Amino acid sequence: MSEEYVLTRDIIYDHSERMLNIRKYYPFFKVADTSFKQYRDGEFECLDMGYILMAVLRFFIEKNNFEEEYVTYEQYYDFMVEILHRDFGVRPDEDIEKELVLYIFDKIRNDGKPFVYEYFNPVDKKKQNVRVRLIDSRIENDTVYYSITSDAIEFYLDTKEVKDESNITMEQLLLGKLISSKNFRGGTQVVRRINNEVGRIIARKNEVLNILSHDVFKGVREYQDFNDNVVKWFDEEQKLFAKNKELIDQALRQGERENSFYSAMEEIYQLESELNRAITRHGKLLSECTDLQMKADELISKAKYGRLRTSFDFTDYMSRVMETDRTELLENIIMPMLGLNIRKRFDLVSIDDMLTYGPEKEEAGEKITDEEIKDYVYEDEKEDERIKWNYRIFTDVFFKLVKSKREIELTEFENAVSDTTGKDVLKNGDWYSYLVHLCQKKHYSVNDIISRTDTFLEEIIKEYLEESEERYMVYKNLVFNIQTTGQEIVSEGISERMNLIICAEEDSH
Amino acid sequence: MENRNLEKALEIFSALIKGEEISRKNKDTASLYDEYNDNAQVYDIVTMMCKKMNLSLYEYKDTLYVSPGVGNKVFGYSNEELKREIGIRVNRELYLCYFIMYGVITRFYTDTSTGTFTEYVRREDIINTVDGMLASTMKNIGIMTLDEVKENSFEAVAALWEELPLVISEETSVVKAARGSKSGFVKMVFNFMEKQGLLVENEGRYYPTGRLSALIENYFEQYKGELYNIVKGAAEDATYKQNQSE
Repeated sequence: MSEEYVLTRDIIYDHSERMLNIRKYYPFFKVADTSFKQYRDGEFECLDMGYILMAVLRFFIEKNNFEEEYVTYEQYYDFMVEILHRDFGVRPDEDIEKELVLYIFDKIRNDGKPFVYEYFNPVDKKKQNVRVRLIDSRIENDTVYYSITSDAIEFYLDTKEVKDESNITMEQLLLGKLISSKNFRGGTQVVRRINNEVGRIIARKNEVLNILSHDVFKGVREYQDFNDNVVKWFDEEQKLFAKNKELIDQALRQGERENSFYSAMEEIYQLESELNRAITRHGKLLSECTDLQMKADELISKAKYGRLRTSFDFTDYMSRVMETDRTELLENIIMPMLGLNIRKRFDLVSIDDMLTYGPEKEEAGEKITDEEIKDYVYEDEKEDERIKWNYRIFTDVFFKLVKSKREIELTEFENAVSDTTGKDVLKNGDWYSYLVHLCQKKHYSVNDIISRTDTFLEEIIKEYLEESEERYMVYKNLVFNIQTTGQEIVSEGISERMNLIICAEEDSH
Repeated sequence: MENRNLEKALEIFSALIKGEEISRKNKDTASLYDEYNDNAQVYDIVTMMCKKMNLSLYEYKDTLYVSPGVGNKVFGYSNEELKREIGIRVNRELYLCYFIMYGVITRFYTDTSTGTFTEYVRREDIINTVDGMLASTMKNIGIMTLDEVKENSFEAVAALWEELPLVISEETSVVKAARGSKSGFVKMVFNFMEKQGLLVENEGRYYPTGRLSALIENYFEQYKGELYNIVKGAAEDATYKQNQSE
């Protein structure tokens, strides 16, 4: 049971740590995977990115850590041209060479972006990203300077050794063994690696100081971490340096005394000078760490007092905003600094809406139904319906008037119709066509109309009467005559017309 | 109230909202400055008008400066307007611009009463400052889940910054203000701050203006309590949300 637990724990809980440890290898494989088959039709297929990357990293370590200077693009260019000529025998035209060197540099720098390595975290059950950079850049006086990152140095060192909490201690133990076995040349290589490691730690110290100067709280955590992983090994490292120095001195004394190692004396001197250099650099690292400690104390006490001051502290405010993790709060600082915005404009979306759409924002969709069309109504049929409807109204007014007054003139009829339907009826075409139809006959008898219709108007009159029994009974005996008087009626805004007299006969009652 | 005083006060207010400099050193507006400074009624009217318009008025080295403050719907900028002015597209970029502007401020001032004696800043100074300010956040995003990064978080801003190359090409003599590189981004923010009268440029060096100093030494001093309350409220809100989600 306990074995199963250990197994599961090793698989799940140690996975993230393992992934973080191997992350530094990821950029190498990513870059090494770059094929030159597609580049310029495979003209440079012989180039090997894995080799080139390792060479470039070594070059950066040399410049950044040994010569303690940043690398300019021109320096990198010269180095890369040398590699191309010497190791691959590639000598293209100058323009192509420039393009090729830049192409390689962009690949190594991943176009300035970090290499992102994705892995599954079984504890959180989520995919996570790890970001690694090989080359960093900074700009000074309009010149871009490049430097190797601590991840890249770690990767480079790891390709030839076993990683431990203190590489320096590990290397020193190895050095002790090499000196004991009189492998001085191997010892020199080890001391060089120690120098690299010291350079990496100095770079890490600068990173910690940078974080401390901008965010004390986070910086303190980094500083603690740095102390735990680096500073605590100093004593042991110093002791080992002293021990190895003693071993070399012994070897030198023995060699001089016995003359038996005469051929190896040069190697011993070389090792001694490398070790002296390493001890000096290690001493420098120690003083850098002391300096870091002093600066950290100063920054922490400054931050403590800053919190008690009455003035508005921008650094402190930023730390508080960052704790909330809400970037939009920064507008509280920036907005008041800006000038007044007095130019008001419609935003592009509104302008687009105004140009694209009519009064309504969007058209209402038309509902499509599957109804079958049963009847067609033509325009003239609609007009017939309208005419019939209007004639029925006029007839209704006309019959009532004739029945009640027995003798009427056209003007009376007009007034009665106007009262019923409004004055505009006298400008209506249906009204005049009704009069024309009415005047087609001079004598009308309702009984005759019911039995036989002669005109279009009579048909409508018949329909009108037959609609209601009561109506029919009222008008069934109505008989009337129409005469013209020969007088013209002229009214403002209304057409000229001849006056009419309509008289009901005696038996109409 | 005398009509003349009202007229002068309106003249001053109108010049201020049009962004004109009212200063004893400026011969065109020196008389207006004197009116404001010497005539109590003019002073009262201008102050009252600014207050009612939600504007903050400051006098710094014989010059008047006005600030729209925060959340001023009439005279302030909306996010969209700001994005258009600066030349960016999304909020994440806007927040990065805020961050860069903040970096510029902190190069000149650590707090409202202490200047850093920095005379000017250059593009590379601000890139280094932003790198430093985001260093710890960038370390965090070394390991992160993509869907965990909220749009308005500092991780999002750090990720955006980190993904930008330092320069677009190896040619560094002419850097265009553009969103494609760190240098271009900083240049874009410099241009905007110059347009807003906060910086002046000379040979690639950016000097703070009187307006920048006036606002830093006055506005933030005056409103520090409110600004801290906003952050405190946001922090409590964040803690509450965190507890809720747990």
